[in-house]
Amino acid sequence: MRIHRLALLFAAVAGAAAVSRAAGPEIGSPAPAFQLQTLDGGSFSLADAAKTHKAVVVMFVATKCPYSNAYNDRMRDMAAAYEKRGVLFVGINSNKTEPADEVRAHAKQHGLAFPLMKDPDNKVADLYDARHTPEIYVVDPSGKLVYHGRIDENYEDASKVSSPDLKNALDQLLAGQAVAKAETKAFGCSIKRV
Amino acid sequence: MFDQESLSRRALGALLLFLASGLSGAQGPRIAGELDAAGLRERLAREKGRVVLLNFWATWCDPCREEFPDLVRLQNAYASKGLRVLGVTTDFASQMPAVDKFLAAQKPSFPNYRKKSGGDDQAFIEAVDRSWGGELPFSVLYGRDGRKIKTLSGKHTYADYEKEVRALIR
Repeated sequence: MRIHRLALLFAAVAGAAAVSRAAGPEIGSPAPAFQLQTLDGGSFSLADAAKTHKAVVVMFVATKCPYSNAYNDRMRDMAAAYEKRGVLFVGINSNKTEPADEVRAHAKQHGLAFPLMKDPDNKVADLYDARHTPEIYVVDPSGKLVYHGRIDENYEDASKVSSPDLKNALDQLLAGQAVAKAETKAFGCSIKRV
Repeated sequence: MFDQESLSRRALGALLLFLASGLSGAQGPRIAGELDAAGLRERLAREKGRVVLLNFWATWCDPCREEFPDLVRLQNAYASKGLRVLGVTTDFASQMPAVDKFLAAQKPSFPNYRKKSGGDDQAFIEAVDRSWGGELPFSVLYGRDGRKIKTLSGKHTYADYEKEVRALIR
């Protein structure tokens, strides 16, 4: 009997161990709060930013990932266009292999003017269960997660995008509507965790 | 514009280049074909009776390239015991020269396919596994009966993969 109980306990522990990371926040639930230093020496608090913007777009990005780099121009242009409508775009680099200087130089090279931050020990990536780059989270003014996934479905050609998912989500949110397609997926580069 | 001797030299040069490219291609394994979600399901069905380790990779993905030699080693070590590694690259069509070069260098004894271009990647990703977020590398283990046993997200060591395979290969 004792052995049976032990076996059950072992099976439960083994089952739990099979899930390597905690699941991220669900759509409609509060986006986990975090605070990071921006690369220009400032400080960023998600909770504070959400309160003062119509939406906050949190983007997990990279300097060397071709998928993330395919979206540099789109990130830059969307951040500028939506800033005028009260939306803040921020970029988080959680890759341990990409130091702050490299992220700074990459931003300069590609004209990424939105706040960028390093995520030491990938704590924020873990908090969100962010897995790859680019991976996007949209937070509404009440601090709830309203969108998670990709920028659009066509990383190869921005002129042939047929499903501008992030744009749609922001437009719907700004129009006071529910986001129709709140979860999307795309290929990306794994975040290089510690 | 060109004299006959110059033209002959150019023709000979072009012929040599053609032959050399053919020879270099023949030295390494090539992509076995393109697969969409339905094609992948059919391909997996052909492996019933074997333990299958399905691995998604890309040439631009550093951790994919880093773990690939271990997958080659694993296939060589466990082929006779019933393991089949299947590789699927998500490289774009334009990246095929890099794919050929990579496979020629790695010399995998297992087949590698390319995810077919077009369509929505989300549908493909979810057809493979609903827990998959699209990150690479990503691997799926199937038992001899074709049942999905486990998914492995990100890069893993030879020991990690061997442990999983040995548990199924008995």
